[in-house]
Amino acid sequence: MNGWRTLFPNAWYVAVREYRGRVRSRSFLLGTILLAVIAFAATQLPVLIDFSMSTSQTRVAVVVEASGMPSDSQALLDSQLNPGSTDPAAHKGFVLTWLSAADAAAAQKDLESGKYEALLIVARDAATADLAFTLRTDIPQDGGAVKTISGALATLEIEDRLFRAGTSTAALRAPFSLTLTPVSATSGATNNLSHEVSTNLFSTGLIVLIFMAIVTYGAWVATSVAEEKGSRVMELMLNATTPLQMLAGKVIGNGGAGLTQYGTIMAAVIGGLLAQAPIHKLVVGTESASQFGGLDPVVLGAFVVLFVLGFLLYSLLYAALGSLVSRQEDVQSATSPLMMLCFLGYFGSIFALQAIDEVGVKIASFIPFFSPYLMLARVSSGHVEPWEFALAVALLAASVVVALFVAARIYSAGVLLYGQRVSLREVLRATRVSR
Amino acid sequence: MSLILDSVSKRFGEVQALGDVSLEIEPGRVFGFLGANGAGKTTAMRIVLDILRADSGTITWNGTLNTDLPRETWGYLPEERGLYAKMNVLEQLVFFARLHGIKAKAAERETREWLERFRIPEYADRRAEQLSKGNQQKIQFIAAIIHDPQVLLMDEPFTGLDPVNAAILKEAFGEMKDRGKTLVFSTHQMETVEELCESIAILDRGRVVVSGSVRDVRRSTGRQMVRVAVEGDPEMAWLDGVDGVRVIRRGQDYVEAEVAPGHDPGAVLATALGRGCAIRQFEIAEPSLEQIFIERVGQIDTTERTLAPRTVTV
Repeated sequence: MNGWRTLFPNAWYVAVREYRGRVRSRSFLLGTILLAVIAFAATQLPVLIDFSMSTSQTRVAVVVEASGMPSDSQALLDSQLNPGSTDPAAHKGFVLTWLSAADAAAAQKDLESGKYEALLIVARDAATADLAFTLRTDIPQDGGAVKTISGALATLEIEDRLFRAGTSTAALRAPFSLTLTPVSATSGATNNLSHEVSTNLFSTGLIVLIFMAIVTYGAWVATSVAEEKGSRVMELMLNATTPLQMLAGKVIGNGGAGLTQYGTIMAAVIGGLLAQAPIHKLVVGTESASQFGGLDPVVLGAFVVLFVLGFLLYSLLYAALGSLVSRQEDVQSATSPLMMLCFLGYFGSIFALQAIDEVGVKIASFIPFFSPYLMLARVSSGHVEPWEFALAVALLAASVVVALFVAARIYSAGVLLYGQRVSLREVLRATRVSR
Repeated sequence: MSLILDSVSKRFGEVQALGDVSLEIEPGRVFGFLGANGAGKTTAMRIVLDILRADSGTITWNGTLNTDLPRETWGYLPEERGLYAKMNVLEQLVFFARLHGIKAKAAERETREWLERFRIPEYADRRAEQLSKGNQQKIQFIAAIIHDPQVLLMDEPFTGLDPVNAAILKEAFGEMKDRGKTLVFSTHQMETVEELCESIAILDRGRVVVSGSVRDVRRSTGRQMVRVAVEGDPEMAWLDGVDGVRVIRRGQDYVEAEVAPGHDPGAVLATALGRGCAIRQFEIAEPSLEQIFIERVGQIDTTERTLAPRTVTV
């Protein structure tokens, strides 16, 4: 048929128009800026946590009434309360002030006036000769600070007992031996739990990205079709282009605008991750290890392929459904079946991550509407054969071609039918008589 | 070498939109489609444009089937007017031109030329939504002809235009005709048809009632009209007695009467002279298109029959 002969360059002109119209709109601009700011802020969360920790400080007055304590008690308690900070200039969560028994009354006054958050009295139990601690404080008793102090005191108690049993402090500090080896000479190290968790988190993130793209940018396609039909400019377009050219242009244009938004957000995330270390140094004052997780290139490649094909499949059908309504307000209800399908694949894949090797999950990962999610989940968990991935992609690509022709059919009939809501039956009848 | 519709039929469910329509539209002519709402004018145009497919029948332009012709052949001004509201005028006209294969530069030059001709060059950089209805209509007309089509199909092009803008559009029609284009438009404004069209077809419920040159259509009834005025006798009661003459209207200035086919209008003159009247006016004319239309189709129906009636099953 005349109408089907060539896709380009007209599809390209339509795509450029769609892209420009979308990118120049205020909602796109504001949305992109907002999302980029949120994404950047999210990457700075670890800095924020470190910062809030660094600003809190518990000042403790220690009144020593006991005698004969180990000589390095002060250093021991200090290092137990402030682990990991060998740098004397670094920020300390606990600041200890050591006082003798004579200062007890003054210390109590200072505690009440707020100079100290806590007053620790170290005495010796007359019966057992063990150290007996009293902690006077209004900070929450089940809070982290009290727990930390309690742990540090337990260590001090043990050291005191060993000291009294005759072990020298030098012997107590002597290094011990720990050798790490694999199970056998041929076995390698397995992924530890935290790596597994971070992989899951990463693939969940990618699945969310695909889901968001389909729901948001697919809806753009449907809206733009309904808009054209509603403003009747469609009638001018009908003589200028073919339904196939219009469809392809709309999907490419809106998809491109979506990718632009994604790219901006990704740039904000990467920028945020790169800026994490300098900002950490600036705000907290110390270096921190950047949280850049290892991005697996295989998973990323699979993501791109599944993302593009999945978006094409869904947005073509979004366009077809969008052509059935005459007013923009009806777009949402017209496209809700597709939305449900999308939700099903999304939630299915989130659960499937927990049961990735189930037969049902494996079968569903080949079904075109679900494969963008489920196959991605399987690829990222590493439980997939290359041929399985190839088959899923081939099926998905084939369904995109089928969707293109089905959508163009519905579209070419739908755009000419005006009325409250056109039923699918009317459209099917109309597709038989128009091209 | 012309636009030929050959036995074109189209049915939408229960409604026969077009029934066996055959027409020949000469190239380089201005052709008018007359018909009430729902007569099938829009459907006929959409079928010619290959936006809709006929159930049966063929359409050819210069001997080539319309399904084999490039889209650039046609320019289409739809009845339902619409533009991209947020896009500026120049941008969207260039966009439409490029869809028809015109290079961007040539399209811009052509667009500016037409804006100049329509006396709205300053609107090139305005968004469409900022324009008045009449000016939007001009932009839509430019969108339809920007790619220099051979045949221009326009659905109710004069609806909603004030007299000044209607005159400007008529000028543009003349310009297109001078360029050798074939113009087809639908309307229910009879004066416009008499002013512009060389040929017409009257459609009623999907069928061609009459078609041909305006002259032939007017003569098709075989009846003639006479207008007579005599000194001192505005009523002219004697007219009713003349054989084959029927008075249509007794006006202030003259009396209008219809002469049945086969009768000589000269009989009226002879009778008047025989009665010794001082004749002030005597005029023989063909019936107006409006009279023919009303005679053939009935009253100009304003109720909407475009959409198929919904059948309700209980």
